[in-house]
Amino acid sequence: MSVAFLSTAADLLRASVVQIIEGGRGSGGAGFAWGRPDLFVTSAHVVSRKRVTVVTPDRRTVSGAVIRRDTDRDLAIVHAAGAGDELPVARPGDPNTMRPGSLVVAVGHPFGMVDAVSAGVFQAVGPLPRGLGLNGKGSLPWVQADVRLAPGNSGGPLADAEGRVIGVAAMVVSGLALAVPVEDVELLFSGLV
Amino acid sequence: MSGDLKSLTTLSEQLADAVAAAGAALVAVHARPRLPSTGIHWRDGVVVTTEGTVRRDDDITVTLPNGKRIPATLAGRDRGTDLAVLRIAPGSLPVASLGDPGTLRPGHLVLALARLDDGGPRAAFGAVSATGGKWRSWKGGEIDRWLQSDLDIYPGFGGGPLVDTSGLVHGVNSGGLSRPLATTIPVATVNRVLTQLLERGYVARGWIGAAMQPVRFDLAARRQLNLEGGLLLLSLEPDTPAAKAGLLLGDVIVAIDGKKLEGFDQLLDLLGGEVVGKTVRLDLVRGGRPQTADLVIGERPRRP
Repeated sequence: MSVAFLSTAADLLRASVVQIIEGGRGSGGAGFAWGRPDLFVTSAHVVSRKRVTVVTPDRRTVSGAVIRRDTDRDLAIVHAAGAGDELPVARPGDPNTMRPGSLVVAVGHPFGMVDAVSAGVFQAVGPLPRGLGLNGKGSLPWVQADVRLAPGNSGGPLADAEGRVIGVAAMVVSGLALAVPVEDVELLFSGLV
Repeated sequence: MSGDLKSLTTLSEQLADAVAAAGAALVAVHARPRLPSTGIHWRDGVVVTTEGTVRRDDDITVTLPNGKRIPATLAGRDRGTDLAVLRIAPGSLPVASLGDPGTLRPGHLVLALARLDDGGPRAAFGAVSATGGKWRSWKGGEIDRWLQSDLDIYPGFGGGPLVDTSGLVHGVNSGGLSRPLATTIPVATVNRVLTQLLERGYVARGWIGAAMQPVRFDLAARRQLNLEGGLLLLSLEPDTPAAKAGLLLGDVIVAIDGKKLEGFDQLLDLLGGEVVGKTVRLDLVRGGRPQTADLVIGERPRRP
C-alpha cells in the first residue's frame, strides 16, 4: 500500500480556516469561510458579543461582526469585509452518505495551537446513543466522530478524507467529538449566499 | 484528484469496508441499565462480550444488525478474563471472521468496533501500541497474549472487537482489565474460555487448599540441599487436595514435577491452566529432609 498523507486534505481545509477572537485577547475559537470569502461560520459559544476579531490564514487581523447567531444549534455567522476576496470557501460534504470508519480531519486551534490538524474516524450522524446525556440536546442530529478535539477547536471544520466539510466542531461528550451537521450551516446561511 | 488525496480516500474506503464487514457480526447486548454494550457473534448461536458489562443473569436481549431485538441466555461468565458468553438462536447473523493476533505488531492500524442500539456499527481508529506474551489480569485470569492499543474505548464499546484493516477480528476489547489502557483479550483466550463456559458455565481453576509463603533457606540448608528456598505451608484445611496428599504444616514445597519452585508465579501459572484432576509430583523439604508427595489438583471452590 502506498503511503497516505493527510497533509493535502488538511491544507485544502486550512486555507479556509480563521481564528475568531473576542475582545482582542486569548486565542479564541475557530471559524471557516462559507459560501463567500467574507462570511465565516463558527460556534455560537465562541462569539458572545457583536464585534469580534478575525485572524485570516495569512495572519492578517481584521474586524468582524456577528450577523446571525443560533444558540440552540450553537452556530453563528461572522461577516468580515476586510478578509479579502482571495480566501477560498470551504467545500461542503455530506455526513449522511459517510460510512462508519471513514477518515475525518478536524482543523482548529486547540489550546491556542493555530491551525492544528487532528485525524480520526466517522462514527455516526444522528441523535446521541441513549444513555449519553446532553441536557436534552442529545436528540438533535450530531456528527459523531472518534477524533481529538480540545478548547479552541470550537467552530472549526470537521471534514472527510477529501477535505469536504461535514460539520462544525462543537463539543466533546464522553470522549466523543460532536459536530453540528453541515445541513444546519446551510439553513443558517439561507438568503446570504 | 492529487495522488495524496487518492491514497487517503483509498485508505478511508478500506477502513469503512473493514467496519462494514466486521460490523455484520456485531450485536448490541442489553444486560445493564442505560447504555448497551457490544457483543460479537463468535460461533453460530454464541455471542461473546465482556463480563463487566453483563450486570444481570436474566432478561438479556440483543439487537441484531437489522434492528431486530431477540432474547439471549447467559451461558456463563468468567471474571478472571472479563468474558461472558451468551446463547442466541442460531442463524441470526453472520459469524465473525477471526484473525491471528500473533501477526499484529506495534504500529499496525486497528479499529475498535461497537454496536449500540441506533443502527450502524461505530468505530474508533488507532494503532497497536504494544504486544507481548502471556499475562495474568488483576482478577486472576490468564490472558494468552498482551495486546494493547491507543484506541479510545467509548461508552458501549466494551465487548466489541479489535479489528484489523481487512476486517478480521483479533479479540475482545475490555476497558476494565487494565484501565485506562485499551486491552484486547486475544482470540486464543476467548476460544479457550468460551469452550469451558459452554461446557460447564464457568472456568474451572486449579486448587491445592493450603496457604503458603515463599521462604529462603539458611546458608547451611542451601549448601546441604543445593536449593535456594520454596513455598512454606502455613495452613491446611482438612479434605483439601493438599491434606489428601499428606502434606503437613511446615513442609516447604521446592519443586513441582521436577521444576524448581522459587515463588508464587510458577504455582499460579500451573493452577491457571486446565489441570483439575491432574496428578503432580511435589518435592518437599520436611524437617530438613527431602521427600516427595503426589498431589491430585482439585477444583477451586466457587463463591456462591
